Amino acid sequence: MTPNAASASSGPSRRSFLASTAVATAAVAGGMPLLSACGGSDGGSRDGTTSGKDADKLLPTFVASAVAKPDLPSKNGSAAGYTSKVDLAALSASVPEKLGTGAPFKIMSPFWGSPPKAGNAYYKALDAAAGTKVTWQNQDGNTYGEKLGAVLASSSIPDMVVVPGWELVGKIANAVTAKFMDLGPYLAGDKVKKYPNLAAIPSDAWRMGIFGGALRGIPMPGAPASWIVPYYRKDIFDQKGYSVPKSADEFLSWAKEATSAKAKVWACGDMNWTAWGIFGVRGSGTVGWDIGDDGKLTYRVEQPEYLEALEWTRKLFDAGVVHPDDKARSGDAGNRFTAGQILVFNSDMSAWYGKTAEQAASNPDFVIEGMDIFGADGGDPTLWASQPAGIWSLIRKGASKETVENALAAANFAAAPYGTKERMLVDYGVEGTHYTVKGGVPVKNDLGNSEVVNAWVMLAAPAAYFAHPDFPDVARKQVEWQQRMGAFMKKTSTFGMNIVEPSRYANLSSQFEQLEIDYVRGNKKLSDVQQAISTWKSSGGDKLRDWYKELIEKNGSGN
Amino acid sequence: MSLTAGSRPDGSRPPAAVEEPTAAVVTAVVKDRVPGKAGRAGKVPFRVRLRRDRALILMTLPVIVLLLLFNYVPLLGNVVAFQEYDPYVSTNGVTAIFHSPWVGVEQFSRMLDDPLFWDATQNTIVLFLLQLVLFFPIPIALALVINSVIRPRVRAVAQAIMYLPHFFSWVLVVTVFQQIFGGAGIIAQTLEQHGWSGFDLMTNADLFKYLVTAQAVWKDAGWGIIVFLAALAAVSTDLYEAAAMDGAGRWRRMWHVTLPALRPVIALLLVLRVGDALSVGFEQFLLQRSAVGAGASEVLDTYVWNMGIQNGDFSYAAAVGLAKGVIGVCLVLGANKFAHLLGEQGVYKK
Repeated sequence: MTPNAASASSGPSRRSFLASTAVATAAVAGGMPLLSACGGSDGGSRDGTTSGKDADKLLPTFVASAVAKPDLPSKNGSAAGYTSKVDLAALSASVPEKLGTGAPFKIMSPFWGSPPKAGNAYYKALDAAAGTKVTWQNQDGNTYGEKLGAVLASSSIPDMVVVPGWELVGKIANAVTAKFMDLGPYLAGDKVKKYPNLAAIPSDAWRMGIFGGALRGIPMPGAPASWIVPYYRKDIFDQKGYSVPKSADEFLSWAKEATSAKAKVWACGDMNWTAWGIFGVRGSGTVGWDIGDDGKLTYRVEQPEYLEALEWTRKLFDAGVVHPDDKARSGDAGNRFTAGQILVFNSDMSAWYGKTAEQAASNPDFVIEGMDIFGADGGDPTLWASQPAGIWSLIRKGASKETVENALAAANFAAAPYGTKERMLVDYGVEGTHYTVKGGVPVKNDLGNSEVVNAWVMLAAPAAYFAHPDFPDVARKQVEWQQRMGAFMKKTSTFGMNIVEPSRYANLSSQFEQLEIDYVRGNKKLSDVQQAISTWKSSGGDKLRDWYKELIEKNGSGN
Repeated sequence: MSLTAGSRPDGSRPPAAVEEPTAAVVTAVVKDRVPGKAGRAGKVPFRVRLRRDRALILMTLPVIVLLLLFNYVPLLGNVVAFQEYDPYVSTNGVTAIFHSPWVGVEQFSRMLDDPLFWDATQNTIVLFLLQLVLFFPIPIALALVINSVIRPRVRAVAQAIMYLPHFFSWVLVVTVFQQIFGGAGIIAQTLEQHGWSGFDLMTNADLFKYLVTAQAVWKDAGWGIIVFLAALAAVSTDLYEAAAMDGAGRWRRMWHVTLPALRPVIALLLVLRVGDALSVGFEQFLLQRSAVGAGASEVLDTYVWNMGIQNGDFSYAAAVGLAKGVIGVCLVLGANKFAHLLGEQGVYKK
């Protein structure tokens, strides 16, 4: 249906580029320190991880959904794709009876855009269908971490809280274990069968929901083959006769050719996120750790490629091929891309559909296409797998049994698979009110565009998929891109494990993001970055390495 | 300070005629018709004063409550500067204070050893001095200019134009500057058309301090003239007429009449500004942080925000904030003393 927050990396990617404190790749891929003592319970240590058989005991039984079969099944870690027309009249029901009791409860969730009023037609329709009564506390997604940190430190935590992995920085990761309840009594093993859509969430994603030795998070599954996509203006490339660059050097020389400040055209925006892919740099946070072929455990900033990627990005800035507003980090690169002021920009998977749909009416010539990520020397790239889930909804400790069951009913509804009435309601709202059907394709109207946004899709999701009934071709291209790129995918030693670092290391790596921004723009020297890396090692990085070594020895490697 | 009579260090009761406040009190007391001894000399019993001033006290009460609630109570939270505070260790952030370990002055010694802290301090001081020299005199000059405009219509329009930018948010101000002075802005495009390339004022770290001062002038200088205009309005026209009669020209009148009239206000604002020296702005710097790099844009306030809110290192951030506060108090006291030496009232007097 539409860019569904569930599908692949679109959730994390919705975070505005403007306000990013965490690189989106890192958001998807890393930045999610997690948890617990091996097999511990509430009283146990808050850092560490749970894996293997200990983890399996905590997981819900997997019961595959039998609704719609994707035309493009998942391959190489990609999302699945639905490209054929759905018969809207013959949608099946995945939630035959209302599971909620109608008792009121509160959900806090990040929201990008302007939240609709409470009690709007969309929320009412969803509540009526799911048997719930939700009070939404929508908070600005761009500054959600600040809010979350304060709310978790208060004594009035909302009943259900959506926590994106990229916000698990500082001490917040540890707080998750302390403040949210073990859902095992409601979901472990066969108990999950009461909630068939939750049972159909893949076990890899559920495993990421283990915090502090207990199953606490209801996951939003993501495709491991999710990366930041370097998008280019295919229409302008064709018109100018540019061929798509195939190596780091080629990109630079193409960019110099394509830039004309006089004509107000620059080759690209800030390509740092793409550089991580080109040079094979791992994400930040727990997926940044890997045991190399030489048997040594290293963090991303210790990879030689880390500096190479930064140097390449700096070359782009130095050459003047990056739009000045991107250099100043002002405004929205996506708008400059659609306006033709930049020809390449990087964003997450969701921009492919988002920009296509946005420009379809006003700019019929506009064609957005994802560039294949090339290796720096023109060979095959090394692309590090994203974690199978990176956004969770959690239920506060001390919530009543009825509240928990209502919250799970809401999550179960939100996780309805493609091709069901529930999915349609969650993604499009009510027919006639929020959308109309034209030529068998649902099209949202203004009310739909303002009310059917975020909220319910954040609670849970089925296994990653792409489906855009209005632009089925985009869904196909997205899946194919992931499958092509997925062929170069490698998993880190920490893949598939929800790991929480000890809080004494919470701020160890916090300086790097700003340092990267400053270095590529010429406001810091290479020696400053090298200095930061050696400071990182001496002020805790080496000790953190020992901690990871022990953790991997105990839990086995994730790759 | 000595509005309460009898508070002299030597304990002697001052003669009523000498101490101004007492004289005022006497008048007030007489008005309220409080009988007896209270009216005699400086000593007015607390209860009497309470009853006499109850209307005034009631009026200030809401503000005092707000002040206590949002300024003084949170001050207590500064104790975390002496802890390794973890807000999540207990059921809520307040009780967490009682469960967090005490570390003495460790956060402060960490601060003194932190080069980033010194960078931020240096930027803050440089920006303060620049603002003092380049910003502070401008509203005074503007007020004099506006004051010399006779036609009310012209005056109103000019004032409105000058006030307007004050109501823009910093996001807007920065965006406007980006559109004009940025690498893809109007000036850069114009120069580009004439063969000069590479103009980009917004990402130049060396000029950043002048850039932000210019932004502050554009946004707030117009607003700053209000208080000076009020002071100018209070100058009796008799003085100007008398000076003119004596043959004083335009400049002499300004020098001998206008400026002396403004002097107490200037001194007061200067003292306040100096006391606030370490607060040079926040949003403005946060928004432009990445354009010029943290090295040029980090000031103490953004540093505290980054450490505390962004990184969750609350104790360290509290320590830096507390240090900033203590230095601020010292600056106010010093500047006030200086104002007294110049014969001005300053913020308060002894």
